[in-house]
Amino acid sequence: MSTAELPVDYEANTKPDLGQHAVLLAAVSLIALVGNTVATDATVIQGLVGLAVLYVIAMVGLVLTHVVPINLPSVAWISLVGILATLPWTPGSAWVLDKVSHVNFLTLATPCLAYAGIAITRREISIAKSSGWKLFIVAVLVMTGTYVGSAIIADLFL
Amino acid sequence: MEKTKDILLDWRLHLSVLVITVIAEAVGVIAVPIGIGSILLLPLLYAFVMGLILNPNVIRKVEGWMGQREVRAASPLIVIAIMPFIAKFGTIIGPSMEKIIAAGPALILQELGNLGTILLAFPVAVLVLGMGREAVGATFSVAREPNIAIIADKYGLKSAEGAGVMGVYVIGTLFGTFIFAILASLLATSGWFSIEALAMACGIGSGSMMAACSGALSHAVPEMKEQILALAGASNVLTYATGLYLCIFVALPVTEKLYDLLGRKEPVASNAGE
Repeated sequence: MSTAELPVDYEANTKPDLGQHAVLLAAVSLIALVGNTVATDATVIQGLVGLAVLYVIAMVGLVLTHVVPINLPSVAWISLVGILATLPWTPGSAWVLDKVSHVNFLTLATPCLAYAGIAITRREISIAKSSGWKLFIVAVLVMTGTYVGSAIIADLFL
Repeated sequence: MEKTKDILLDWRLHLSVLVITVIAEAVGVIAVPIGIGSILLLPLLYAFVMGLILNPNVIRKVEGWMGQREVRAASPLIVIAIMPFIAKFGTIIGPSMEKIIAAGPALILQELGNLGTILLAFPVAVLVLGMGREAVGATFSVAREPNIAIIADKYGLKSAEGAGVMGVYVIGTLFGTFIFAILASLLATSGWFSIEALAMACGIGSGSMMAACSGALSHAVPEMKEQILALAGASNVLTYATGLYLCIFVALPVTEKLYDLLGRKEPVASNAGE
């Protein structure tokens, strides 16, 4: 019925329409600004400047996703831009760090999870109903595997 | 895919998310202490639950406020909404780069140990529990926010893989500190590993889990407290820096290959695209 259900649409996700992302990212940043103002002691202006800096980092990352012919997810580019902008030897990194320090890390994930809750389909609900207990077992094994795996390798090289 | 104007016109959706965000942040973090660990309730979890409550697929009655149109419109916004978070995340890693470089080879190589989840969890999920494609999302990583972003970007959160990563994420957020505190205490007293190795392993890319894990370790070996916290902290920052790329280039491709070998064959390939 809707083309949004077809795999071909993921092509559109990896090569985003920049204008579309610019507008939606601004809308999402405004929601984050309200959340940040509620969650922290930062003033609206401090939050606004901080989110504006993060907006620029995200947009640079999106532009790179668009123009660089390596097929990396946009989040990898955005993360990379954020790292490069704040390396100790990058000029102006102290300014960037000072501005984004007024934005709370976990608060930025809150609107995302709200959208995620609203986006759940009937099919996903049936998956959760039928395999919720399985996911719990798997989650325990995931954490155990990650922890013990790292401990074994660290032990070998110490 | 809908046009930008259409998505912005879904004002009920955005207004709902705004209200949810305000309520969730106003409540704030609640830590419920349980013995050696604690169950951590974060605003993003309340946001997820409130989103579910407003979802017409979950509660039929809200159909008057939000319908299938809003549900569909919400999906592409998940990835966009995580972008400021990922940008902020990068700015946390950058300043620590010198510390990471100075940390030494053991610290760097143990990052590969995070692939242990695939060895342990994936076979059980697929062969014992009979899980389908959701096993790929559930077991390729420890399912923290950057890992969700990878799955959202590659498969979409509406996919089976998305359901898997979200399931482990929610359980990890609720019980992760508790599980890591137990693991660290048990292994510290077992004598199987050196305490330094266990401390490094605590850095799995989640601040709260790292704190619970290193806290439990230093509780078990109080004379090494400083060293434990320093190693765990450095390892955690390193995981933030490398974890995303390790997942994209190694963990996810390996999990995909394993699924080809061991996994259930889905009848129609388009299942992955829903």
